[in-house]
Amino acid sequence: MVIPETPGSKVVAPLRDAPAVAGHTGGLSVRMSKRRTTGAATSDSSAGDARTALWLMAPALGLYAVFTLLPIAATFWLSFNSSAGFNTSASFVGFDNYAKAAHDPIVWKSLVHTFLWLAYHVVMAGGLGLLLALAVSRLRITQVFFRTAFFLPHLVSLAVVGVIWANIYDPFFGLLNTALTRIGLGAFTQGWLSDPALVLFSVNIASSWQGFGLYMLLFIAGLQNIDRSLYDAAEVDGANAFQKLIYVTLPGLREVTTFVVSLAMINGLKGFATVFVMTNGGPFYQSELITTYIYRLAFQSQDHGLAAVLCILLSLLAITITIVFNRWRARLSQ
Amino acid sequence: MLKFLARSTALAAMIAASSLAHAETLKMWGPEQITEPLVAQLWNGIKADFEKANLGVTVEFMPPTGTISNGAVQAAIQSDAGPDVILTNSGIGRISVVKNAKQVMPLTEQYEKRGWKDQIYPWLYTELKGQFGGEIYEVPDGLDALGIWYHKDIFEQAGWKIPATWTEFEALLKSIGETGLQPIAIGPRTTGSAGHLFGNLLQSASGKEVIGKALRREIAWDDPSVAAGAVRLQKLVEAGDIKKEMAGLDLDGASRLWFNKRAAMFVAGPWFTANARKAGYDLANAGYAPMPSDIKGAAIPTGGVGWSWLVPVNSRQPELAMKWIDFMLSDAVMKKRAQDPASTMIYPREILGVEPPTPVLKDIFAAAAGGVGYNPSVYLPGPVLDTYFQVIQGLISGQIGGEDGMKQIQAKMAEAK
Amino acid sequence: MSVRHREWPVALALTPALILILAPFVWLVVSSFKTEAEIGQADPFTWPADLMWRNYLDAWQIGGFGELVGNSLINLIGVVALSLITCAPAGYALAKIRFPGREWLFYAFILGLTVPVQAIVIPLYQVLFGLNLVNTLAGIVLVQVSNGIPFGIFLMRSFFIGVPDDLIEAAKIDGASHLQILTKVFLPISTPAVQALVIISALSTWNDFFLPLIVLISPEVQTLPLGLVRFASTYASDYRLVFSGTVISFLPIILLYILMQRRFTEGLTQGAIKG
Repeated sequence: MVIPETPGSKVVAPLRDAPAVAGHTGGLSVRMSKRRTTGAATSDSSAGDARTALWLMAPALGLYAVFTLLPIAATFWLSFNSSAGFNTSASFVGFDNYAKAAHDPIVWKSLVHTFLWLAYHVVMAGGLGLLLALAVSRLRITQVFFRTAFFLPHLVSLAVVGVIWANIYDPFFGLLNTALTRIGLGAFTQGWLSDPALVLFSVNIASSWQGFGLYMLLFIAGLQNIDRSLYDAAEVDGANAFQKLIYVTLPGLREVTTFVVSLAMINGLKGFATVFVMTNGGPFYQSELITTYIYRLAFQSQDHGLAAVLCILLSLLAITITIVFNRWRARLSQ
Repeated sequence: MLKFLARSTALAAMIAASSLAHAETLKMWGPEQITEPLVAQLWNGIKADFEKANLGVTVEFMPPTGTISNGAVQAAIQSDAGPDVILTNSGIGRISVVKNAKQVMPLTEQYEKRGWKDQIYPWLYTELKGQFGGEIYEVPDGLDALGIWYHKDIFEQAGWKIPATWTEFEALLKSIGETGLQPIAIGPRTTGSAGHLFGNLLQSASGKEVIGKALRREIAWDDPSVAAGAVRLQKLVEAGDIKKEMAGLDLDGASRLWFNKRAAMFVAGPWFTANARKAGYDLANAGYAPMPSDIKGAAIPTGGVGWSWLVPVNSRQPELAMKWIDFMLSDAVMKKRAQDPASTMIYPREILGVEPPTPVLKDIFAAAAGGVGYNPSVYLPGPVLDTYFQVIQGLISGQIGGEDGMKQIQAKMAEAK
Repeated sequence: MSVRHREWPVALALTPALILILAPFVWLVVSSFKTEAEIGQADPFTWPADLMWRNYLDAWQIGGFGELVGNSLINLIGVVALSLITCAPAGYALAKIRFPGREWLFYAFILGLTVPVQAIVIPLYQVLFGLNLVNTLAGIVLVQVSNGIPFGIFLMRSFFIGVPDDLIEAAKIDGASHLQILTKVFLPISTPAVQALVIISALSTWNDFFLPLIVLISPEVQTLPLGLVRFASTYASDYRLVFSGTVISFLPIILLYILMQRRFTEGLTQGAIKG
């Protein structure tokens, strides 16, 4: 089934076919559904239409305004004030908080770490998803088994993933170091969560282990969507497996890849639970992300003004990534 | 017959209704180790005694989900489920965080009115008075005394003992390392625990007077006389006496090493008995000694107020909370706790005629009787604490040197004025 | 014929990947049956001497998992139901009704799609506090639904746009109001979209950690991931309990997934693509 495109978002056919829409019309008579009308709705119903639309949207709008829009505005306001906590009053300080943030080395550190985190996530979770999708989509009988098995980590909460992997990474009792020692690779044991060079990477492996499953499914769907005849044409041209991959598969996946990359980046920006549970941003801020620093400032040191500045930073990053990727996707579909 | 039944049922209902009308609940946050059966037994006994003395009152324990350092106490006070009285890790640094956020009540009046000021050590009362310009926000429940815990059997077998001087101590660390044991286990991810080891190193290198001056801002923290302890930690890590990998461990991860006898020493206080019991460690084998020092008189445990009672501003039972604190300060309760095997700390006043039931506690009390130094975690102002703990993590993971670390702490101290 | 030839080598090549990826699960389950002493030996390749089912019993009782699962279920049902009620009509209105300001409203919802919830957490907490909803399941349901509204509306709107206008015209001629059109015509044929919305919001709510961390303070109202993390940090020295508790926390959803695997996959891909 092909679904008509909406502006700015190209749609790929789902993994399984959904029944054609036209066949189900509920309780209306067949005669009615065959009739076509031309033109837009009649004019006198447009005022009533607007009112109906408002009523239909009221529940969503109401909740959204109170719990999302209002806080967004309030965060903006909060960044210009200084506050010591929830029970204290805020005093206007202009751009002081922004200046404080610019001079705070941890802010810069967390920014760098956030970018690194995004990069790790896209490469590891996205990359693993792509590789496994390429392999799994070739299977027939065992496809469901492998697909199900590889998806299992995605079902575990990121916080629980943090607990599991913190234990795996324990330098003295954890699975990783003890297994390495047992099979004779004792030289490769590390302080996975204590080595400043490794900690962010190690935590991200845990997060990517949880995340890749969804991307794998998306890539599998994308692969199913590539026109078989293109492969046959390549075969006729004498292409081998590797060339087919480069010249047919990867181009055919361009759409899905862009989508997966943007999704991975947005998910990466939301990364919090695994870091919080495994290292709480440490040791010595070596795994501090913008999100964990926000939590630290807001709920531990109670510096709400500075935390609000970071919140704005986070939002700007998210908005920028979304806009950039939407433009890219629009350009690709031309 | 029927009339009699009806009347007695009505009477019973009236009594039930009236007691319900008086039914009040006091929600207490704590105690920290309530999950340990012996501790639970002791506190349930205390609860029963209080309820007996105050008919119609029920005491409910809220198992702590954390401390002031990780924001759990503040979150609990914020929430609607708020406790009415809190027992948690204290110290001026932590108390200032909740005081500045206006989350706890001043109790200065109660000290006068209810006589609390005569129920704790005089030096303790003076110290508290001096902290917030005369206003007191806590009632001390237990004092800490941090020193080195070691395995008696391992030390006996190898012929080791905790020496009196630092130079000998360094030699001991080498010999321990040669046998494949971890000389010292440390779990810096639990901020309090990081502070225990570090505070001991600071005092051993500089002595109690100097550290006291640094805490009162009479000397800078990056002054070489104060930074010496930090440099020592740096050297220990460089020499491999403290493994860098431990930077990722928390208190439980590190103590697991000690309980499994893969580490020789661990810096902790009397509360560690509860941890040991939970891990099934034979407490008769636990030895305790203060950290050695080359400075005369500096080989004493570090400490300070460990736990205190706080009353949230939004406590629903402030009167009951005060009554509860009266009760906890009473002779009867203090004696009961001191004699209980679950006893885990030093009391805020002298309790005569009571022998601690666990041998290692006897050692700790004896060591503390000679005087206790400062555990900076308990004395540093709130805004400095986070940096203090992070620097310790940085030292253990080899990311920062002793002098640089102390510079950062000093910068925060100067700011916190 | 040639397809089958290719299957087994690929399956074989995938096996090491399978082992590596599932290793944490296997290690966790095996360790959860060991005694504390056996765990202390830290040998990942030894099997427990006896299967300590007791670990699971203890974890369940001490950890109060029954209550945690109950809270998570209430949380989940609340969010899914409220999400459908809010997003389906709104998606329909945005897709099929022309009214002034429609585009602006749509952009307002996209804003919520991009801004992560961590960025609005401080005022959000204050709003909840003001409404007396901190530490309540009702509070967390409302916040999670609001958080999911942009995605839900996007999803429903995308799907509804694909439904031919003829159906609406025909129904209007029959005298149906928009509400009737929505309930009697559109919803019955929206199974793929509804399925996607249900599965995606159910999975993300069940596994949510950040919002429960902020909103749910006391153990009585906490949900499963939060409860497990708290349990793991309190009983960190009782590894047998931490391991068995962890298995208890993810086992139900994994079993559910294996049984309903096809619906999950359909729902997730549909949803991710549309959203």
